[in-house]
Amino acid sequence: MKTKLILKKLEGIHNIESIMETLKISRYKAIYYIYRLRKQGYIKTKRLANNRRLYNISFENKLGGTSYYEIINKYSPIKITSQEIYKVYGKKPTLEETLVYAVKTQRLRIILASLALFKRIKDWSELYRLAKTNHIERQIGALYDLSKSIMRTRKMTKLFRHYALPKGNPSFNYVVPGLKSKDFQNIEKTWRIYLPFNKSDLENYK
Amino acid sequence: MISIEKQQGLLLAISKRLKKPVNVYAVGGTAMMFLGFKDATLDIDLVFENKESMEVFKEAIESLGYKAMDAAIVYGRKTNTPEMFTLGDERFDLFVKEVIDFIFSEEMQKRAKQTHQFEGNLILKVADPNDIILMKCATDRLKDLDDAKSIISNFKINWDLIYEEAQNQKKLGKIRALFELGYFLEKLENKYKIEIPKTIKDNLWNALEKEAKSKKKG
Repeated sequence: MKTKLILKKLEGIHNIESIMETLKISRYKAIYYIYRLRKQGYIKTKRLANNRRLYNISFENKLGGTSYYEIINKYSPIKITSQEIYKVYGKKPTLEETLVYAVKTQRLRIILASLALFKRIKDWSELYRLAKTNHIERQIGALYDLSKSIMRTRKMTKLFRHYALPKGNPSFNYVVPGLKSKDFQNIEKTWRIYLPFNKSDLENYK
Repeated sequence: MISIEKQQGLLLAISKRLKKPVNVYAVGGTAMMFLGFKDATLDIDLVFENKESMEVFKEAIESLGYKAMDAAIVYGRKTNTPEMFTLGDERFDLFVKEVIDFIFSEEMQKRAKQTHQFEGNLILKVADPNDIILMKCATDRLKDLDDAKSIISNFKINWDLIYEEAQNQKKLGKIRALFELGYFLEKLENKYKIEIPKTIKDNLWNALEKEAKSKKKG
């Protein structure tokens, strides 16, 4: 069977049995197909606790690079998948860049998963610079305060807070258009940002 | 021919030489490679949002040794031909917004969902497969029919979207777009026996007939 055809039939997550079943082949042949796909860069393998292997088979694996979703999934208890592909080559995206990317997507689940990154943010001046460039410094500030209220985070620098807090009386902005919080209105007032989460949404972080 | 791995190396090398951040859309063989429809390509077709971005990109590829070549060799006397640069058997075709008789419209830009960032400066977005068909129909070079066939056999084409975009092109002032699409689809049908939905063909020819009649009156 041609590699392209195998790839088309097997795209997704598999173990050896599911490959055997999908292609109606023997274990020996399934191992050989995995070998062929891996050689061409289409497979990423993950070992489970019981030493069994899970194969992520996709054309995307051949492209290499790092996606922001991979970084979020590495650090967050909430795992995400997305049809949208954003890959970075030649450098590993920083956590600060990943957080800014997540907020810019304005997608609820991606932002929810990315809150875990506040546990690891170290370069607050870089985060402020990126947030300022993308006009989302207040959103980041509000999401930080929200994260701090439900989990241990790294401490935001005074300078970040000082520069990011709203000056005067700017109009309220959204993190996710149209969504407001019932439970975090005090944070919303401080940053003049509507937060898209209620306490019940954040249970995975407890 | 340039493979996926080699192309990524090349784009990284270009990114390192860019003096400013550049956003660009891949519309031809490069886009097909990112989408998994092709393993290698000869020409890298890119569409820039403005002339300034293209100049920055040109400077970077020239510093890598790419030399300008005459677009007439490949595109003949067509309008809106690209600036072409070549090194060995690889070639860059650089367009600014317009690709021969088509415009890389805002709708097409929105549909380009896949993004590939090379270091900090080069952000490459991959055109939607339906739009690649339209771009293939615009460039209409020797290999373009084969490429279109490959897309059609690997992807569920949204023919309505293709027709709507051709109509949109007409609104944007590209009146030949409908004709070029009809001609290209007919060639595809004849050469590869690809079945194009009858409603699409009927709509296309009706629109063309209407266009011709209105011209006669004028």
